[in-house]
Amino acid sequence: MGANIYKNKKPLFLFLLPAFIFMIVFLYFPFFKNIVDSCMKIKQLGTSGEVWNEPWYSNYTKLLTDENVRTSLKNTLIMTIVTIFGQVGIALLLALMVDNIKRGAKVFRTLFFFPIVVSATALGLLFNLIFLYDTGMINQLLTMFGRQELIDWKSEKWALFTMMLPVMWQYVGFYFVIIVTGLNNISEELYEAAAIDGATRLKRIWYITVPLLHNVLCTCVVLAVTGSLKVFDLPWTMFPKGMPLKSTFLTGTYMYYQTMIVKDVDYGCALAVMIVILGVVLSRIVNAIFKEKDY
Amino acid sequence: MKMKKLTATILSGVMAVSLTACGGGDNKAADTANSAATDTGNKAADSAEKAPDTEQAQGGVELEVVTTFAGNDGNAQTYKKFYQMWEEKTGNKVEDMSATADDTFKVRVVTDFETGSEPDVLFFFNGSDSNNFIDAGKVISIEDIRAEYPDYASNLDDGRIPKSWVDNKAYAVPVNGIWEAMFVNTEILDAAGVAMPGADYTWDQFTQDCQKIKDAGYTPIAAALGDIPHYWWEFAIFNYNTPENHLTVPESIEDEIGKGWVAGMEDIKALYEAGYFPENTLSAKDDETFAMFTEGKAAFLLDGSWKVNGIASACQSDPDDPSTLDTEKLSKFDVTYVPAKDGRKATDLIGGLTSGYYITKKAWDDPEKRAAAVDFVSYMTSDEVVPEFAQHGSSALKNVPEVDENVFNELQIKSLKMVAGSTSFTGPVQDLFQGESRVPTFDGMPEIVTGSVSAEDAVQEGLDIYWSSDL
Amino acid sequence: MKKRKFSVPMAVIYTLLCFWALTTVYPIIWVVLNSFKAKNKILENSFALPMGELFTLANYRKAFTNLNIFGAYKNSIFISSMVCAIVILLAGLASFALVRYHFKLKNTLYMLVVAGMMFPAFATVIPVYTMEASWGIAGTKNWWLSMLSVILPQVAGNLSFAIIVLTGYIRSLPIELEEAAFMEGCGSIQIFFKVIVPLTKPSFATVAIFSFLWSYNDLFTQMFFLRRPDIMAITRLLNELTSNEGTDYGLMAAAVSLVVIPVLIVYIFMQKYIIKGMTAGAVKG
Repeated sequence: MGANIYKNKKPLFLFLLPAFIFMIVFLYFPFFKNIVDSCMKIKQLGTSGEVWNEPWYSNYTKLLTDENVRTSLKNTLIMTIVTIFGQVGIALLLALMVDNIKRGAKVFRTLFFFPIVVSATALGLLFNLIFLYDTGMINQLLTMFGRQELIDWKSEKWALFTMMLPVMWQYVGFYFVIIVTGLNNISEELYEAAAIDGATRLKRIWYITVPLLHNVLCTCVVLAVTGSLKVFDLPWTMFPKGMPLKSTFLTGTYMYYQTMIVKDVDYGCALAVMIVILGVVLSRIVNAIFKEKDY
Repeated sequence: MKMKKLTATILSGVMAVSLTACGGGDNKAADTANSAATDTGNKAADSAEKAPDTEQAQGGVELEVVTTFAGNDGNAQTYKKFYQMWEEKTGNKVEDMSATADDTFKVRVVTDFETGSEPDVLFFFNGSDSNNFIDAGKVISIEDIRAEYPDYASNLDDGRIPKSWVDNKAYAVPVNGIWEAMFVNTEILDAAGVAMPGADYTWDQFTQDCQKIKDAGYTPIAAALGDIPHYWWEFAIFNYNTPENHLTVPESIEDEIGKGWVAGMEDIKALYEAGYFPENTLSAKDDETFAMFTEGKAAFLLDGSWKVNGIASACQSDPDDPSTLDTEKLSKFDVTYVPAKDGRKATDLIGGLTSGYYITKKAWDDPEKRAAAVDFVSYMTSDEVVPEFAQHGSSALKNVPEVDENVFNELQIKSLKMVAGSTSFTGPVQDLFQGESRVPTFDGMPEIVTGSVSAEDAVQEGLDIYWSSDL
Repeated sequence: MKKRKFSVPMAVIYTLLCFWALTTVYPIIWVVLNSFKAKNKILENSFALPMGELFTLANYRKAFTNLNIFGAYKNSIFISSMVCAIVILLAGLASFALVRYHFKLKNTLYMLVVAGMMFPAFATVIPVYTMEASWGIAGTKNWWLSMLSVILPQVAGNLSFAIIVLTGYIRSLPIELEEAAFMEGCGSIQIFFKVIVPLTKPSFATVAIFSFLWSYNDLFTQMFFLRRPDIMAITRLLNELTSNEGTDYGLMAAAVSLVVIPVLIVYIFMQKYIIKGMTAGAVKG
């Protein structure tokens, strides 16, 4: 029956065209230029290339041998795992908890959203100060509890932890909002019916809520994977240039570094292409695993 | 490739000759009086009226002007004041589109020239950032402007107006310049029993002093090598050069200058190994180590003239209000020459006039705007206006106003004296050595000092990149 | 209704929620507190209260002299509201089509949407600027055109995210209501506006909030397109913070406070659309 309604495909163009015209003109066309640029010699950001690289794919062979690309892919992979389990996981738990309380739900919904509103530059500064070597909040606390030596939270040993914790924390609120929206979609009657059948609250969550959230969670995971590939501002503010010893590069920060700091603009373009391809491939994999369902 | 070497050599020659000239008394140039802001206005207006080259623009012209005097730039308000005075005087209008000089700003300026939406007058860097639009002939050289307005920038010393690296012509009319030197926290020196360094400071004395300071429980040098190694990089290399050949990028680590570059990196490594940098120098940001210096935890800081105000504002209870200055705290700070080794004299400084006013071809070709643009730049670079911008910094003025020490704070006066005692000014070679070629020795500095990459390899890698790019 | 009384699990839940809320609220309080401290005091005393010697209004004074704040708010809110409205409409239509219709290129189009989310702004902004300059939209003195020049690329930049979220939500909607509407003779356009839009309201609200927020906070695009003092947006404040002497942390805190306040108001206002029951009730009735 469902298919019948939408058999007439004429309105399809009306629905799709405006959005895709926007994207083609303002995203794909410029990005196509970016792909061309990745094969040319660009002297300065803002100018266009005149000569092709020799060979034209030289930036892509460079990608394969560049040690920093490997570091950034490794870190990004860790970041992806952290985002999926840390961000989406915590967000789901928080959303379920908020959904199951009566008083104060509205307040929590508002408060959890706060970190997304504050700009990453300000958050970067805040976390810098929290993890500061000399007078940072954590080191001050540790000294108060009698610790003699200060911990350099930004040294190689701790850097990844110090970088990922704030990123994870910042976006929990984002997924929280999306999941809460999804929870709205679940009819109260289902819960009531289950409650009458004697199902405990945990069982109701496991057998009703989670399966019905399937599509929303799938959306979240796609967003988390693509997001971790391009996350840039907070890590960059805290660990510019892959400090220390280029050990904290992510794909997003490394692309920014090559484009804006090293000014190897065409190589930056190649990195952007790599990120887009990775993003598409990974999101296909996520979709294949989760298999979005129609109802 | 040959071209690049040629320009570099010409440039170094020119710079050295012109800048050694400013060694002696000429340095007052730099150091101009802030002749009580109230009457300067009138004086400036007078002088500009007297200026013969200004075909009094009839007014009603609207000039688009882009500068870097915006946001937190120390001269943002000064700039605003003077362009508004110019507007009043001429009846023209300035469409001010200034912005903080960050990366986005630079990209924007370049894009503007590419799309033909460049401004009429531009205050911008004269280093490699300007190569592209100069190469494309989109700005007019001072020489060409003088063909029609012979007095254009005639109050400035031509020898000190920097030339473009593209064609060795001067385009940008400079206002205020910078220098780099070593700031000192004398409180720590006293505590460690170290004498205040002077004009004959040597590297050996410096390392001995560092050891004493370290033994006394302080950090000798405030620097974030993982973030901003630039100043140490520059002076470590300068140590093995002279002002005459410093602006030459070596062809390889085998030649004389190349050996100096390697030796300079080794010197930084030795300081690191001796533990003279902060413990977290590889992971700290520059802000943090600067705070160590102002808070009395580290003794030496290699930095630029703009930090004079940065240190002063750290001693004020309201950083924007000089009247809240804690003079006693400020008196603990001093500025001196960077310790010398090998060829260089300690009193040889790094510095120069790194930005200036450009007139674009677009404005020049517009009969309405040509005179107005020339008048505007002449006004903003006149004898009366330049000192207001340069303050205790340097400028290219021929007639240097007398210094009225009353308007300066103690550190500014100390820096005036330091600059007056200098023997030469040389531009930073890192301005020639840009972009990717910097990676191995700038961003790679932590690898060099920790020994995971040898200084030779890092320098050679950077040079290879430099000579293989064809800009 | 479920019965509520004090129980241990409930206490644990509240403790956890309160803990998380503490971590999310503290930064805002921290930023606001530091906005009342002088820039050179922040690095040392960032966790102290701004009282006595530490207290200053200098940062706000500076913020207000550097920028015509109210003009900037007006521009920012205009841009972001327009972006938000256009994104909702276009993304809503496209998502509906991508979920309910079956056609050959469906997967390819969805892939293009995902890819669109990954394009870095600094790779696309320069060609877009060049293009708009050639159309005569960018870099003009006209207020409307200048606003348009920012709105267009920002709409494109937010569409991908919006489509991904909306398709996820529409897919979960039961098709029966649409079938019922179809039986009553509604065409697909009517079905969209009469059935899908009301049902998808909460998700639209989410998308609206985020596209508003991202457009509002998008410093890079705004810096690139808005240059004249009269058309600058509020985020521009954030750009006025660095100088050779170092970052002005005090001014930054003040700027962030000024930028954040209207967003929080908008969020609290939009929040009620996400609240459970409202929409569900409307449809059932």
